[in-house]
Amino acid sequence: MLLLANTTEVSLGVTLLFSLLLVGLISCLALEEKIHAKKSVIAGSFAVVCLLLGAAFHILPFGRVVVGSYQPANFEEVEGDYVEPDGDRVHVDVESISDQSDPDTTTPSESAHEAHQAHHALHVDGHEVSMPVYIPAIDWGVIAIILGSSLFVDITSRSGLFTWIAIRVTKLSKGDPLLLLIAYAIMTVVFSAVLNNVTAMIIVGSLTAVSLSRLARKELLLGFLLIEGLLTNVGGLLTLISSVPNIIVGTAANISFVTFFLRAAPYVVVATMATLVMGAWVFKVRRLSTEAEKQEALQLVAGFDENDGIQSVMFFRFGAIMLGLFIAVIATTSVLPLISDLEMGFVALAFAAVMLWRYKSDVDQFYKAVDWDLLGFFMALFVVINVMEHAKVLDLIGVGVAKIIDWGDIGGTATVLISAAGFSSVTDNIPLAAMLAKILSSLGTPDSSALWWSVIFGANLGGNITPIGSASTLVAVTIIHKNELEMSFGKFVKIAAPFALLHLALATAYVLLFLR
Amino acid sequence: MSKIDQFESVFKAADKTPFQFERMQVNSVLLVTDLYDPDAAEYGEKVRLAFPNLGTDSTKWSCLDRALLPSVDGFLGEIKRLAPDFIFTFRNLLTPATEHPYSLGVHLDVMTQATDIPILVLPSPHREDSPELRTVKRVMAITDHMAGQNRLVSIAASLTPPDGELWLSHVEDETTFERYIQTISKIPDIETDVAKVRILEQLLKEPRDYVNSCRKGLADCGFKMQVHEIVTLGHRLRDYRQLLDQHQIDLLVLNTKDQDQLAMHGVAYPLSVELRNTPLLLL
Repeated sequence: MLLLANTTEVSLGVTLLFSLLLVGLISCLALEEKIHAKKSVIAGSFAVVCLLLGAAFHILPFGRVVVGSYQPANFEEVEGDYVEPDGDRVHVDVESISDQSDPDTTTPSESAHEAHQAHHALHVDGHEVSMPVYIPAIDWGVIAIILGSSLFVDITSRSGLFTWIAIRVTKLSKGDPLLLLIAYAIMTVVFSAVLNNVTAMIIVGSLTAVSLSRLARKELLLGFLLIEGLLTNVGGLLTLISSVPNIIVGTAANISFVTFFLRAAPYVVVATMATLVMGAWVFKVRRLSTEAEKQEALQLVAGFDENDGIQSVMFFRFGAIMLGLFIAVIATTSVLPLISDLEMGFVALAFAAVMLWRYKSDVDQFYKAVDWDLLGFFMALFVVINVMEHAKVLDLIGVGVAKIIDWGDIGGTATVLISAAGFSSVTDNIPLAAMLAKILSSLGTPDSSALWWSVIFGANLGGNITPIGSASTLVAVTIIHKNELEMSFGKFVKIAAPFALLHLALATAYVLLFLR
Repeated sequence: MSKIDQFESVFKAADKTPFQFERMQVNSVLLVTDLYDPDAAEYGEKVRLAFPNLGTDSTKWSCLDRALLPSVDGFLGEIKRLAPDFIFTFRNLLTPATEHPYSLGVHLDVMTQATDIPILVLPSPHREDSPELRTVKRVMAITDHMAGQNRLVSIAASLTPPDGELWLSHVEDETTFERYIQTISKIPDIETDVAKVRILEQLLKEPRDYVNSCRKGLADCGFKMQVHEIVTLGHRLRDYRQLLDQHQIDLLVLNTKDQDQLAMHGVAYPLSVELRNTPLLLL
């Protein structure tokens, strides 16, 4: 789908007005708990206001859009019709395009800019359709990934696979607190990477509450849950689909699943180990010392039956195979014939569709369980950001970001990472990631730039500074409260800050040393 | 955050109480009777023959007969002094059973409240229609909450001979269940049919899992008897009566102690009052 670039002149007053709206949105999202409104309602309300004002100030590109166009592999294919920003269809020949992007007559930065422009211009053979302006504003690829993978994970979890793994891991620890912490930490990271941060925290967090209660070690619950909450954001860095900022930024920077994994994995391993060492020390998690204690703990965890949640062995096996396949296909989407064109969203939805066959007459229960608030929030957010783009707000922010980037390879990259972490600690990291991805794209940032990684690391790890910084830490705090443990905003920051600082210091060093 | 609750429920359901055999040490057995010697001694011998699995050859058997049976206070003091591991007695001690057929009698009533020692209540030998004591082969352990009843199951198993049969039964009270379902049916947020099925499934699953664990645990400890499971929804008193008749149970084992009250708890009192022909082991 091609959304025509906006070339309308926008006054500074209008840009500032929309900037205020953006600040308002971010502030409201930060105060989500205080104003007792769901994200989708907040973002949706702002989207409505933005669209109305956008229409009033004539900054929105109303008109027909071109769908079904494709980007040719070489200039010989280009000759044909294409669509001007004003909607007129014009004829283009090879020479006119070649002139625009002659590598001999442009500087590297101009070349990048031209390439970016060409990305919009060199789409041919599409057909025009009438579509409301807010529909093409939404990144449907991201929505498809989130919807498909959440459905897939939800149905797969009914097979008892995740609970089976979780209980097996618990039993392997033999009930020893330190081994249990290590086991749960690894499980949190892996689940965060394969599923998503929130689901990982829910699974591991609820098991932690039950198992520590069984082991009569409730005094360790707060420490365990906090470490797990922090590790969801570390584990969320492991793959391209582990968190929404990864999906948004990774997609914008054309980072493949495998590249993402290979580049992020060393950091995740080191950060997890560092968190474990520090966590065990801070929360005084020790190994059992006497043989009697070990025997008692072993007997207590032996009571867990990992097969209890398995309703059908066949479906359990099917779920395990499908999960393996899902990861394999997602990892190789960019190189698989046909699939690479259909992208990851298709893969997620297709796997969800296959899994739905298990409950074919009862699928509505899964549709009900879909996090519509999250999906609504994303859609509204994309609309808001699109309007901000037309209102030149992103250009304005981009000027600031460009100045930071100009601080140099080291200073700029580190500052972007720390700033991204700071912002995402007080507000949702998704609008931040979406906005910065747009800005970096518009600045013609090359795919290989470390700045993309700064945004990814900063947006993910910023969630560890405050309890509202990420959905998974919020889940951790919810489980803490559910178990009648005291955890205020201030207490969380006080306990989590040293961990967050450690994560950020490691991330900054890692990005500067290895990803630059 | 309903998913937190979902997963917590899954893990809680997976957290099962495994059976652990608790060996019953019976070094001394006391027979409390209002018979005079030599009838008391003869009755004591019948009891020994009826319970061949109780204790070992070195177990010391003693008898508190009518001549030695003092006032209620005095007899409690005597029990304390003798400190037996197991007591045999029957209801309506020192009172004619025919006058108060549905009473345990003051001695037994006090004994169940004042001591933690297992008390085996035999049919009164004073009643004309009292059945003869027969060798125990078929034992049934009953509870309103089977999971985790290690002591109950261990004692019941210890009294069952290798060629005998052990029934582990759990009857979930239908009246109470229906009352809750009636309440649920008035709450629009909860789907009544789903709630009814799922709650009942879970209520019966826990005792079933525990019985399976008992079966395995007892086999691991070398017990050879057949272990049967009865887990159902029904009317406790009526169903237990039917089950006893149906399976010709020789001994019924049940818990009577309640942390919150002195009186026998739950279904124990009505059962011990009504089942006058079946030996009852009150724990």
